[in-house]
Amino acid sequence: MIQHLLLISHVSKHFGGNVAVSDVSFAVEEKQIFGLIGPNGAGKTTLFNCITGFFPTTSGDVIFDNKKINTLRPDEVCKLGMARTWQRVKPLGSLTVLENVMVGAFSITNTTREAEIIAREQLQMVELTDYTTKSAGSLSIGLKKKLELARVLATRPKMLLLDEICGGLNHTETDIILDIIRNIRIKGATIVFIEHDMKAVTSICDRIVVLNSGEKLAEGTPEEITNNSDVISAYLGGGHHA
Amino acid sequence: MKKIALSVIAATAVALPIFIGENPYLIGIMISVLMMAALSSAWNILGGYAGQYSFGHAAYFGTGAYSTLILLTLNNSLNPLFCMAMGIIVASIIALITGSIVFRLRGHYFGLASIAVAEIVRLSVLNLEFTGGAQGILLSDVSLWGIDLNSKNPFYYGMLLVLVVTLSISQYLRTSKTGYYLQAIREDQDAAASLGINLAFYKNKALLISAALTSILGSLYGLYIRFIDTSAVLDLRLSIEIILTAIIGGVGTMWGPVVGALLLVPLAEMLRSNLLGDVLVKAGLVSETSGIGVFLKENLAHAHVLVYGIITVLCILYLPKGILGLFRRVK
Repeated sequence: MIQHLLLISHVSKHFGGNVAVSDVSFAVEEKQIFGLIGPNGAGKTTLFNCITGFFPTTSGDVIFDNKKINTLRPDEVCKLGMARTWQRVKPLGSLTVLENVMVGAFSITNTTREAEIIAREQLQMVELTDYTTKSAGSLSIGLKKKLELARVLATRPKMLLLDEICGGLNHTETDIILDIIRNIRIKGATIVFIEHDMKAVTSICDRIVVLNSGEKLAEGTPEEITNNSDVISAYLGGGHHA
Repeated sequence: MKKIALSVIAATAVALPIFIGENPYLIGIMISVLMMAALSSAWNILGGYAGQYSFGHAAYFGTGAYSTLILLTLNNSLNPLFCMAMGIIVASIIALITGSIVFRLRGHYFGLASIAVAEIVRLSVLNLEFTGGAQGILLSDVSLWGIDLNSKNPFYYGMLLVLVVTLSISQYLRTSKTGYYLQAIREDQDAAASLGINLAFYKNKALLISAALTSILGSLYGLYIRFIDTSAVLDLRLSIEIILTAIIGGVGTMWGPVVGALLLVPLAEMLRSNLLGDVLVKAGLVSETSGIGVFLKENLAHAHVLVYGIITVLCILYLPKGILGLFRRVK
């Protein structure tokens, strides 16, 4: 039997008369790297916000680890083992890099000493140990993205939702982040991944869902998606080919 | 090094009344300094660490003062600690009601609501019978539980003790899970929530600690001056002074409120007693009979609030992190 860690069941989200997400369903299996792609305004981030408790869903259910989570608060969702990063990074600016990651670690420990140990481990994993005492606000965008990753990893999540973690990064930085993500999967976490960079998505994902104007357009393996004519026309705007 | 500095400060603080001797005026100013430092530190736990600016802390201060004096005028054999505890309970109830309603909302609602709640408390006290209304409450006993209430030294040490307790709580919070969580909330509420922080719970916790400490100080102050009315302990002006002290000293730092109080309280006193004008006259810079001399004498005493305002504006422009921010290396 296949174990679904996350089940999105007929989820819709309306803002007034504006339909941001419309009747989207898919399932993510344990230890998958799952891609969520689509053009700007397709509803990817809105869907993330619905999954992680930041927006209530208008209709439909989100089931995580056999629990219905779409009525929970963000902190409760996090406590169940689902962590997210932000498309626009949200560092705790006046705290140091180490302190940022410690805040994440406090969700699994109550003592400052243990939180610091966990935080240092995570900083090592994302190669940020040289910046431990720098203030988070002073980092470059590439380092801030790494910090976001370290911070959510410190909550020891079962599932990670990454919202354009490679956005604004150059090729070298993207490759480093993708390596880190592969490592995270090896350690047993499941990953859902919003990304614009098609090369990054197809190189790392086991399975991909394409959203367009709030609706699910296609689902399949990276090869199926790259050869799907609907996806090509939605993504590239008609007859153009990349 | 740090420990030596702390010991010197502590020893000075403890020995100060002995040096000053029987000068009630100076002791009075020192009591005001300690009280404002403690009030501002207590406010700082909520406003500085958690970033939730309360503009109505006078409500908790007044609650402590009124609870204590009302109880003692009813029965002067009550234990002072019991009266303080009652003050804490009333202040906590007000804090919990405010927090549980307003902390669900984002943005500046807490700041606005804190003013509204403080005004509700002030107007209630002003119009109720058992609070003495506009006449206020006078505690006629001059001696309770063997303490001579006319002597200022017990209150000096009382305020010092509460300040030490407040600073200790402040320091403990800063290095504990709660302190990290409060700072995370201040920096970015979405990020904080996504990392498993229950926003409303931790904001309420900070408010509760802050309100309880403020109420204790109110109780002590009520016993100290023995006559209170709404303009003395429930005024918006007091709430503002608490905030300014923290901002000028350094919001979110442990010692900022203490530095702010050490600077502002004596300054306000100097202006109020026209010491500044006197000094200028005595130094021969200004003639007492000249236009400027007369102007200073007549107006400067009323100008301490104006000077507070000017200092605050200068601070915000040039020292956005307060005086302590000057000594902090930029990382």
